[in-house]
Amino acid sequence: MNIDNNINTNNSQSEVIIDVNNKKDKTVENIIDIQDISKLYTMGTEIIYALKSATLQINKNEYVAIMGPSGSGKSTLMNILGCLDTPTTGHYYFKDENVSIMDDNELSTIRNKEIGFVFQTFNLLSRSSALKNVELPLIYAGIKSSERQIIAKNTLKSVGLEDRMNHKPNELSGGQRQRVAIARALVNNPSIILADEPTGNLDSKTGLEIMKLFSDLWLEGNTIILVTHEEEIANYARRIIRLKDGLIESDTLNPNPVLF
Amino acid sequence: MLKFSELSESIILAFDSIIGNKIRSLLASLGVVVGISVVIMMGWALNGLDEALNQTFSIIGNDMIYLDKWDWTGGKKWNTLKDRRDITQENVDFVTNNIKSAEYVIPNINKWGSSLDFKGINYKGISLVGVTSDNAYTPAGDLIDGRYFSQLEDKNNENVVVLGFKVYETLIGDNKTLIDEEIKINGRKFTIVGVVKKRGTFIFDMIDNQIFIPYNTYVGIYGKRTKGISIGIKAGNNNLDLVRDEAIGLMRASRNLKPYEDDDFSINETKAFQDSVETIRVSVWGAGIAMTALSFLVGMIGISNIMFVSVTERTKEIGIRKAIGAKKVTVLIQFLSEAGFLCLVGAIISLIFCSIVIYILNFVIIKFNPSITFLSPFIPLNLMFISTFISVAVGVIAGLAPAIKASRLTPIEALRYD
Repeated sequence: MNIDNNINTNNSQSEVIIDVNNKKDKTVENIIDIQDISKLYTMGTEIIYALKSATLQINKNEYVAIMGPSGSGKSTLMNILGCLDTPTTGHYYFKDENVSIMDDNELSTIRNKEIGFVFQTFNLLSRSSALKNVELPLIYAGIKSSERQIIAKNTLKSVGLEDRMNHKPNELSGGQRQRVAIARALVNNPSIILADEPTGNLDSKTGLEIMKLFSDLWLEGNTIILVTHEEEIANYARRIIRLKDGLIESDTLNPNPVLF
Repeated sequence: MLKFSELSESIILAFDSIIGNKIRSLLASLGVVVGISVVIMMGWALNGLDEALNQTFSIIGNDMIYLDKWDWTGGKKWNTLKDRRDITQENVDFVTNNIKSAEYVIPNINKWGSSLDFKGINYKGISLVGVTSDNAYTPAGDLIDGRYFSQLEDKNNENVVVLGFKVYETLIGDNKTLIDEEIKINGRKFTIVGVVKKRGTFIFDMIDNQIFIPYNTYVGIYGKRTKGISIGIKAGNNNLDLVRDEAIGLMRASRNLKPYEDDDFSINETKAFQDSVETIRVSVWGAGIAMTALSFLVGMIGISNIMFVSVTERTKEIGIRKAIGAKKVTVLIQFLSEAGFLCLVGAIISLIFCSIVIYILNFVIIKFNPSITFLSPFIPLNLMFISTFISVAVGVIAGLAPAIKASRLTPIEALRYD
């Protein structure tokens, strides 16, 4: 792993150097710790290795991009990180709990409370209003109606959509829909935000706005994991993990992240 | 296990799905509507059957026992009964004098095939019955006009007669009343003193073709040595079983039956009639239930089918919800609720539809044949509850397979679905 210093910036922000090898650093809270995980599928007699082996750690308030071409295993890795899927071998510790041996219900709870998903195709409920969409994770968390409304409204406000909260997704622009999706991802105060090609369905200007939003969220203390195949998008992150053919090719700090 | 907010969310979703696809929901519930309608109509008809049977069997009176050579239910073959000894006046007297538990003992002597002459017209095939005046206290003594003959008239062999309803109907013509009118029975003059109310139902109406004269009058004309004596015993407020047992004991003693010999007379009572049709009744109910089960099966297939469609339509949505944290059980309940609601709606439509049909049917049937009084114009309340309950239960069962399929979808697969 490369450790790099970057003191020359045009920006008033100073960079914090994170030693990715030193897990025992007490000032840093570890969120994700995966050890030698793999994922295989059997199609008839063939075995397909979607992910051959991956080991990495992600700590609180990191801004990581997972990059790779199609077939590299990045989607598989993302699904495993997001607890949407379980690895075939290896261990996945999420905040020190072994997630790889959890059952469906436990995984559902983790997804609900700890992980905020942002999808390329937004994946909002088309028959519900923006507010209702943002409330959804709160419903599954068991929060009662009056409280839910308040929290959801505030979250929509924080992404700048409070005057659109009663609109349905088809009444919103692409960028607005993604903001709703981001609000939904934030509403339960998750430990990580997992974004899969978040600007893939947006034009470049709107895409920029969304990346600025992610940047703001990172500065507020959130942990952001971006999955993308586009270099320009990956460049917003402070650490880039590259996958190829089911293996991690490199895991380095980004020497020249794009700054706002 | 499941949070309240999740539960209410699932149920609201189920409701929305049905409202959102009104036509489809209606078509899907059509099978259930047919199924429940069959249940309701069957239940109504069977209730009517039971009521008809009850009405018929109660004709002889719920507290009456008739001892007769013949078995009125027709349960025993005529061959085995025809050789029985007739019931004699001695039997009658013995029972009358010794019975303690009964209220009344009323001997009946029948002369079938009697004829009447009234205002010049002759009627044949009337059943002439000689009874004591105590017959007034049995259902055979419920009158709509006039009075029953008295004990004194009986003692004095008076020629007075009480007419059965059908006889009255035939004779009344334009007259206001038949009371005090003269009539000839088998050629002899009698005075009409009373008219019995209609007792027969459309199954058993020959009972209204009888005419009643005092016992002694009968014996005076036709003598004691006639066939056709039966003994009516009214239990009144006393325990029917007690009365029956005592009567049987006395009859056996009077006829000198040895302990090992069977009764050589029949005990005719409401209970006997009920027992005799029980097998038929059970078969009819059985057939009815089989039919309804079949129609339910068809309805269930419709519901299952539509639910599978509903699940497929919402696959992506299920994926999103699961990704955000919905549990298997949540999805299961959402779709089971949808199936249950569909059937609830079906049941309500059936209830409304059948209520209208039954009301009209009842109206038409009574117009056509007023003696049919055993059908109800309304759906009995317990039938309403039962049919609704069955409907929802069937819905949930029918929806089980699709709901389980939905709950088992993995978020990844489901999200990929377009």
